[in-house]
Amino acid sequence: MIELSELRDSAQKAFPADQLIPNREESWNLVAEMGWLMIEVPEEDGGLGLGADAAATILYELGRVLAGAPIIPQMLTLRAICAAQGLENRGEWIERLCGGEYVPLNVLPSAITMTTDADGTRRLSGVLPGVAEADMAGHVLICASDIYTLAPLDAPGITVTERKLWDHSRRLFDVTLDGYAVDPALVLAEGSEARAPIEQRLYSGVLLAIAADSLGGAAACLDMTVEYLKTRKQFDRALAMFQALKHRIADLKTQVVAAEALFWSRAGDAGVSVVDLGAAKALASDVYRMVVEEAIQLHGGIGLTEEHQCHLFMKRAMLNLQLGGNLDFLREQAGRAALARFAA
Amino acid sequence: MTDTTDLESLRSQVRAWLDANAPRGWRDAYKTMSHEQFAQAQRDWFQKLVEGGYAVPHWPAEWPGGGRGLAEQKVIYEELARADCPRLLLSFVSTYHAASTLFECGNDEQKARYLPAILKGETWCQGFSEPNAGSDLASLKCRAERRGDVYVVNGQKVWSTMAQYADKCLLLVRTSSEGAKQAGITFLLMDMKAKGVTVRPINQIQDDQEYCEMFLDDVEVPVSDRVGEEGAGWAVSQATLSSERGLTLMELSYRMRGALWRIAELIRKTGREGDAGVLRDFGQLVTRVDSACAIADRFLENRLMGIEGVGDASIVKNTYSRVLREYSLLGLRLGGMDEQYHSTITYGDLNTGNWMADFMNSYAWTIAGGSEEVQRNIISERMLGMQREPKGWVL
Repeated sequence: MIELSELRDSAQKAFPADQLIPNREESWNLVAEMGWLMIEVPEEDGGLGLGADAAATILYELGRVLAGAPIIPQMLTLRAICAAQGLENRGEWIERLCGGEYVPLNVLPSAITMTTDADGTRRLSGVLPGVAEADMAGHVLICASDIYTLAPLDAPGITVTERKLWDHSRRLFDVTLDGYAVDPALVLAEGSEARAPIEQRLYSGVLLAIAADSLGGAAACLDMTVEYLKTRKQFDRALAMFQALKHRIADLKTQVVAAEALFWSRAGDAGVSVVDLGAAKALASDVYRMVVEEAIQLHGGIGLTEEHQCHLFMKRAMLNLQLGGNLDFLREQAGRAALARFAA
Repeated sequence: MTDTTDLESLRSQVRAWLDANAPRGWRDAYKTMSHEQFAQAQRDWFQKLVEGGYAVPHWPAEWPGGGRGLAEQKVIYEELARADCPRLLLSFVSTYHAASTLFECGNDEQKARYLPAILKGETWCQGFSEPNAGSDLASLKCRAERRGDVYVVNGQKVWSTMAQYADKCLLLVRTSSEGAKQAGITFLLMDMKAKGVTVRPINQIQDDQEYCEMFLDDVEVPVSDRVGEEGAGWAVSQATLSSERGLTLMELSYRMRGALWRIAELIRKTGREGDAGVLRDFGQLVTRVDSACAIADRFLENRLMGIEGVGDASIVKNTYSRVLREYSLLGLRLGGMDEQYHSTITYGDLNTGNWMADFMNSYAWTIAGGSEEVQRNIISERMLGMQREPKGWVL
């Protein structure tokens, strides 16, 4: 059994804190070499068979350095494939993905329509938004309301368009399907009953991943801000000496540590509900927002320049608030569940 | 004993004992009582816990009910919170602060005289803060002069919890004004019935009388009741203050979680089950309460493993106290105008559903026991290494 602290140490060694947004391809190769793509894959499928907290440990560290390598979509696609017992050549796909062949999925909800030709061929049309780093991929996992299926990105009826983000550390693409003919050999699941367990794995996976990324980023951004205040001098003293600033930092630190405590208690709980993970994600991403918002203010003018790193954290934090469900949705869901739990 | 099965068996023992012995209907009873009757009810509940063997699990093994590890103490507190037992307000200083001071710094004679009496119900209060020594405790001025076998004490103390019922007092006095202000402090054990001790309960904004001020007028304290050497009181007081090791905040966090149904009930009562804004705020509060529990748990787990960083306790305290405020504010908001009509408080509880009272009570945790601002200084300066202001500024 690999200890989480060992994973953390090797991730910190591979991705040193002072190198933000490490080269995408190099980091991707490194992550694949370290075997981190197969962390959650069950041992009987050739993976490491570790829990969600092990995956979260890596994602937290990659969040600290604003890594652009798309580990999150790859882990999600692997979650889907591992749960899709009906997929042809399932073992082969798992091996290919664990080895570094990149297959993203749409992390945002899609509106895809499915039609069936006279010969039984099914065709998909519509836009798959939020496909990360699609230019690195040969295949995509289409997550639509009727079907989960893999598709080659060079197939007829598929076009890939980058949608430029404010976030510099990630790239998202729209994959447009225009009558794409489904290959039955690539279908993971069809119909709501078959889709449900996969959907569950995907949804809890994205919440866990974005929460871990947010907390790693929040911790790094707070560290960076504290260091800046310790070195920046005005009025003949370090800014860190001003109590007004100290107290703001202390409050941020308190928020970060509390959100981390909640997150790790839930990441390590195999029976955790999607609602509780969603609540942890809401808290984590909101705390990341608090930290980046204050980080720019506390850096002053330099925080508004492109050359400084503040904005990199800020933009990623704002994107994280949206991925996996926004605050309004997740909080309302948590409130509704709690209300039901305390039924009169 | 740290084995999981052992802990679970302890849990079922405690639960069975509480099923048979936990006071029922105490919330209503505490409401109609006088403050004196409340104190008596607290004494009765403490005695019952002593008999059951659950009053002082943190004491050494040679004491009845003692010798429990932190993991076991945690189980006991979780169960007390789950059974919604009254908190032990009256005996808190005796079993934690006084006991810890005596165990760590008391001499054999002091231990033999005072510790068994605590289990028989003798209660202690703390005489630390003064009107001009709050966050800056070391600047205290209450003076003690040695005359033969006694110290003669003159001065004033304030914020002494439940001092009006206390038999004994942990007293910090100044025996010297030379050198660093910490160096002239001495720690005494004072008999509250001694001549010259006047205690006046402070009327608090929520109708409670938990805190007292104390006036000491030529009070004689035998030298044999000094803990540690003369001038070593500051170090002794650190043993007093670090005594409860995070258990209280864990217990209180769990109690707050156990009281979330009050908000749910209010949402229903006011017909706002479909109000998305209210549901969001409730969802956010529930998550914040869960995070307060998670961090209190983690703090205790770290202590169990012998790892505690400077400032960790401050983070736990500031999280709990802020969430407690948020909790009472949401209750107040949902309760609306109804909460503006005065109603009788329940003594000794923080989550009563009397939302104005709960709101006012929540300040106890952002002000007492080291204010939120002092904790922020600890977090920023000692945990994160932000530079201190130069000492000795003259205004």
